[in-house]
Amino acid sequence: MAVAQEGAVRAPRVVSPINPANAVTASRFLCLPPFVWAMHNGYHQWATLFILICGLLDKVDGLVAKIFDCRSVFGELFDAITDGICYGFCLLLVAYYGWAPVIPVVTILALGIANTVMRFVYGKRAGRAINYKSYANERLVGYTGFLIGFATSGMEVTFFYWAYVPLMVITIAHDAKRMLVDPVPPAEAAA
Amino acid sequence: MTTELVSNDVFRAFLSVLTGGVAGIWGVVDMIRLARLRNADGRDPVVHDKRFGYVIGAFVGVIGVLGTLRFNGVM
Repeated sequence: MAVAQEGAVRAPRVVSPINPANAVTASRFLCLPPFVWAMHNGYHQWATLFILICGLLDKVDGLVAKIFDCRSVFGELFDAITDGICYGFCLLLVAYYGWAPVIPVVTILALGIANTVMRFVYGKRAGRAINYKSYANERLVGYTGFLIGFATSGMEVTFFYWAYVPLMVITIAHDAKRMLVDPVPPAEAAA
Repeated sequence: MTTELVSNDVFRAFLSVLTGGVAGIWGVVDMIRLARLRNADGRDPVVHDKRFGYVIGAFVGVIGVLGTLRFNGVM
């Protein structure tokens, strides 16, 4: 009986990819069409509002995952991919419409793509679904959401975009070593 | 639908409070977290990553506050 109970405790909990947290994450894509509409029509405040909603949903999905106890590696990866697509697309758009300087935007996107590739390599090295948790990158993702808001609102755009670039270069260099060179932690430690 | 949600002054005030507030709190929280880790084992990769992340967070906070001050003509 004791052995059976122990086995039950150790059994990994299977979380369906269709859960409330991932639904909130997916709903962030709904912010993109109205964002494009606002940008195209030159509605700065509306564009800022939609990117603010997108950023808030990014915070809410983690909260929902906690409340409904549906955290999973897939959810973390889906969240990271959604961040990349939503913020990458919005950054491209603000640069295209001339609301943000092109050189920092191109640099940020190039480093973001490099980071995504390194995450895939890290997953391959680990041989399992794994999300590299970077405390620094989490902060930069938050900053990225604000960057788009700075562009749509016209708030110190040049200052904030150029200040972001060195922070991202340092973070990507740091994470590259951790993902590509350092040993991958075992499954229990990574969970 | 109107082209603007609020007046320009209200919008500027909202941006200042949001950016300055979030950045200020963020910077202070990460500095406190960093201080709490000062006796932790730096050879542990997780501790190392946390320290690095909190330093970046503190910088992000400082940049946010400086940007807000510039936006309001203080700097």
